[in-house]
Amino acid sequence: MEHNIIPIGIGNEGREVFWNAQGFETILFILTAVAMAIFAYGVYQRWTLWKAMGKEEIRWDQLPLRLKSLFVNGFLQIKTWKDAYPGIMHGLIFFGFFVLIFGAAFDAGEFHITEPLLGWSFNRGNFYLGFAFLMQAFGLCVLIGVLMAMLRRYVIKPERLAYKGKSDNTADDAIALLFILGIVVTGFLISALRIRVTYQETPWESVRFVSWGIATYALAGVETSTALTLHKVMWWTHTFIVLGFIAYIPYSRLLHIITTPANHFFASLKPTGYIEPIRDIENQESFGVSKLEEFTWKQIFDSDACTRCGRCQDGCPAYLTGKHLSPKKLVQDIKTHWLEIAPAAIKAKVAAVLAAEGAGVAAPVAEATEGTASGKALLGDVVSMHELWDCTNCMYCVENCSASIEHVQKIIDMRRYKVLTEADFAPELQLTYRNMENNSNPWGIGAHMRADWAKEMGIKTLAEDANVEYLFYVGCAGSFDDRGKKISVAFAKILQAAGVSFGILGTEEGCCGDSAMRGGNEYLFQSQAQANIEIMNGYGVKKIIAICPHGYNCIKKDYPNFGGNYEVYHHTEIIADLIAKGKIKLTKSQDGIFTYHDSCFLGRYNKVYDQPRQILNAIPGMKLAEMDRNLSKSFCCGAGGARMWMEEEGERINNARTDQAIATNASTIAVGCPFCLTMLSDGIKDKQQSEKMVALDISEIVIKAMGLEETKAPVDTCAT
Amino acid sequence: MNIIACVKQVPDTEAQIKVKADGSGIEDGQIKWVMNPYDEYGVEEALRLKEKNGGDVTIVSVGPARSMETIRTALAMGADKGIHICDAALDNADAFVTASALAAAIKGIPYDIIFCGQRAIDDDSGQVGAMLAELLGIPQLTLVTKLDFAGSSVKVIRPIEGAQLSIETSLPCVVTAQKGLNEPRYASLPGIMKAKKKPVDVKNAAALGIASDVKAKVAKVVPPPARAAGKIICGDDAAQKAAELARCLREEAKVI
Repeated sequence: MEHNIIPIGIGNEGREVFWNAQGFETILFILTAVAMAIFAYGVYQRWTLWKAMGKEEIRWDQLPLRLKSLFVNGFLQIKTWKDAYPGIMHGLIFFGFFVLIFGAAFDAGEFHITEPLLGWSFNRGNFYLGFAFLMQAFGLCVLIGVLMAMLRRYVIKPERLAYKGKSDNTADDAIALLFILGIVVTGFLISALRIRVTYQETPWESVRFVSWGIATYALAGVETSTALTLHKVMWWTHTFIVLGFIAYIPYSRLLHIITTPANHFFASLKPTGYIEPIRDIENQESFGVSKLEEFTWKQIFDSDACTRCGRCQDGCPAYLTGKHLSPKKLVQDIKTHWLEIAPAAIKAKVAAVLAAEGAGVAAPVAEATEGTASGKALLGDVVSMHELWDCTNCMYCVENCSASIEHVQKIIDMRRYKVLTEADFAPELQLTYRNMENNSNPWGIGAHMRADWAKEMGIKTLAEDANVEYLFYVGCAGSFDDRGKKISVAFAKILQAAGVSFGILGTEEGCCGDSAMRGGNEYLFQSQAQANIEIMNGYGVKKIIAICPHGYNCIKKDYPNFGGNYEVYHHTEIIADLIAKGKIKLTKSQDGIFTYHDSCFLGRYNKVYDQPRQILNAIPGMKLAEMDRNLSKSFCCGAGGARMWMEEEGERINNARTDQAIATNASTIAVGCPFCLTMLSDGIKDKQQSEKMVALDISEIVIKAMGLEETKAPVDTCAT
Repeated sequence: MNIIACVKQVPDTEAQIKVKADGSGIEDGQIKWVMNPYDEYGVEEALRLKEKNGGDVTIVSVGPARSMETIRTALAMGADKGIHICDAALDNADAFVTASALAAAIKGIPYDIIFCGQRAIDDDSGQVGAMLAELLGIPQLTLVTKLDFAGSSVKVIRPIEGAQLSIETSLPCVVTAQKGLNEPRYASLPGIMKAKKKPVDVKNAAALGIASDVKAKVAKVVPPPARAAGKIICGDDAAQKAAELARCLREEAKVI
C-alpha cells in the first residue's frame, strides 16, 4: 500500500520518522535483530541455568494472586517506595523507561504498521503534542533517576551498597548506569539537533521542552550542516547504545528487569513467616539442605532476582551489630555458587542421559552434585556457620526485600541439616533442646510446675471445665520464667475483670516448639506441636489466646500442617477489643513517656501493629514516643530464631535496641512479647538505665491503668 | 575393639519426686525418665573410642521395660547394640544384684573396656561400677575425667583434692565416668531412626543364671521436710534489722 500521508504542519503536528536517517531502516532492522538474538540467547542460557538445579516446587498455582503480586510489587513496586530516595530513584528510571518504551513502540507501530498497512498516522496533532511532551518529561525522569543513582552509588555510598565497609560496586553497575544515561542523553540530543535544523518549520516541537531548550540555547550557534552531521552521528550512537543495552540485559544486573518481577510472580502466597515443614519426617533419610541442589528451584532463583539493593541488610539486627550475617551477602554468595556449579550440573545431566541411552536403559534422574565444578561446600564455604546461626528470624529482610526473596526459609533449611542430620550445633542449644524434650520447656524447669503461676487465681483448666470460649495458651515464658509469669497473671486478671470465658491447659500444656523449629530441630518441633494439638483437639479447642508472639505465630501458621486449626489471637488483640467494647476501663493515668517495641513475631510476622498502640493510647495521660525503627522496620530484640538460647558474640542486639529506646527519652518500654521483655530488661540493666527506665508488657501497663495492680504483701513480715 | 557402656534409667533431675504413702519407694507414674547423666559421659566416651579406634559399642542396662527407651537413646547416639536385663524379680535390686546382673551379661560377650557412670543420680550409691570390676576380676578406674587409649592399656586422669592422679592400667578394665570427661553428643535424626532397628537382646534373670540376692534393702523412703516460707526482716534502721536477724538466727533457726 502506498504511503498516503497528510504532510505534517500546524494542525497536523507530528514528526518525520527517520528524519535525516532515511535509508537506515534495513540496517537498523538487521542490527535490532542481532541485538534481540543476543538477548534471546542470553535469556535461553539463563533459563537452562535456572532449570539446572533444585528440587521441584509449585509456584504457579493461584494465578490471580500471583498476577496481583506481579502487578503490585513488580509494576507498582510498592516495596521499593518504602525508602524515599532509592524508591524515587528507581521509580523515575522504571516508570520513565516504561513510557519511553511505549513511545518507541508508537513510533515503530505507526511507521511500520499503521501507515504502510492502513494509511493511518495516529501520532499526529494533539495526540502527538501530548505524546512528545510525555516522552520528554519521562526521559527527564530517567535522566534524574539515573543521576540520583550515580550520585548515590558513587558519592553518597550508603552502607547498604557495601558489606562491612567494602563496596559492592562492580563494573557491571557502572556499565548499566552508563547505558541508561547514554540512552536518554543521546535521545535528547537527537531531538535537539533535529529541532536545531527544523525549528522554524516545526514550532510545535517546543513541547519537546528539554530538546527545544538545548537546541535554542546550547546549539544556537551550531551550523545547520554541522547539526545535520552531528545528528547522524548521534542517531547512530543512540541506536548502538539502545541495542547494546538490550543485548547486555541477560548478561548483567539488568537481568533483574526479568528475574525480579518473575520472583514477585513466584513469591510465596503463604502467610508471612510460614515455614514449610519437613513432611513425612519419619521416612526421610537426609534432612534440610547441605548442598545447593537440595534447595528448591525457587530458592535458587531467588538469588538471581537479587539486585544487591541492600534493603535487607539495612535493618538486619545481626549485621547492624557487627556479626557476620548479611542477608544480601548470603543471597549473593548462593548466587555465585550456583553460577559456578550449574553449568557442570547441566553437563552431568546430559552425560547421564547419553550414557543411559547408550546402555539402552531409561535415563536415571541424574543430579550433579556440588564439587563437580567447584571445590566449595554450601555449608561452611559458601555460607559460614556464623552466618547460619547469626540470624534471629526477625523477618526484616524478607519483609523489606523489594524482590520477594525468602531468606529465612533457606536459613532454617540449612540449620535443619546441621541439627538433624549432623547434630553439629551450639552446645547451649543442645541443652535447650534436651530441656524441651524432657520437660517441654527450654529452661528445663520441671514440667509439673507449668501451672504454678495460676495457683490461687481461680483459673480452671480445660480438664476441669472445657466449656469455655478461649483457651489461654500460656507458653513457656509465661509459665516458667519469673518475669514472664507476671505477664500471665496480669493478663488473666484482665480477662477475669472483663468476664471473658477462658481456661488453661495447666500441666497438659507443652512448649509450642518455635525455638526448635527455627533452630532447625524440626523433629522436636513436630513432636511438641503434635503433643499440643492432640491435647487441644481432645478438648475441642476453637479459639486460642497467646501472650507470646512465638507461640501465637506458630500455632496460627504452622500447627495447621499437623491438624491443629484454631482461631489464634495475641493478647493485645483481645485487650484492644475489650477496651473498644468497654469491657475494661482504663482510668488511672500513667506517668512518663512510653515507647512501644514492635516484636518481630507480632509485627512483621502478623501485622499486629495497631492494637498495642490503640491500647496504650486508650490510657489516660499516655505520652507515646515512637522509636526511629518501628512497625515493619522495627529492630529485633535479638531473641528470635532460637537466638534466645544461644551465646551472642560482639555487640548485643538487645543493647542496640535498648539504645534506640533510650533515644526516645521514654521511661517505659512497652512490649508484647516475653522474649522481648527479657531482652530489653537485660538491655536496660546493661545500659545502667534501671533507675530511669523499665520494660513492661502491655498487659502489665493495662493492669496498672485499670487500678488492679497487685501490691503483694511480703511472705512473712515481722507481724510481732 | 569391644566397648561396653552400662546405663541406668533415672528420673529427670527436674522431675517432681513423690514418695509413696507407705514409704516403699517413689511414685513413678508422672516421671520423665532419662539416661543417668554420668552414664551419658560413659556412652559418649565409648563412642569416641570407637570412632577413633574402630570396634563396636554395646549398651547394657538393668531395669524395667521402660529402660528400653534409654538403651535406644544410647543407640541413637551411635552405639551398635544393646542388652536389656529385664525381670520383675530384679525390681528391688541393690547395687550388688545390679552389678551381678551386668557381670553375668557381660561375661557372655567379648569386652575390652567397660564404662559406667560414677554413680546414678537416683540412689547415689556409687557402687555398681566398682562391684562390676570385682565380679569380673578386672581393674577399675573410677571418677575419670580424661581418658587416653594406647593399644592394650589406658591412662586416665582422676581429680583429687588439690591435685590429680594419672593412673594407668591394662585392658580389660572398668572405667567410671565423672562430669568433665566429655560433652555428650546430641543424637542426630538419622541416628534416632537407625536406633529403632538396632538389635537389643532382652534377657531375664534365669537366662543369666542370677538370683535377686539382695544384700542391702531400702527400709524406707522419706521425703525431705517441706521448706518453710521465707521471711523478710523488718526494722527502722540497719542496726535494728541486724539485731532482729541475729535473734531469728539464734532463736528460730538455731544456727548461731
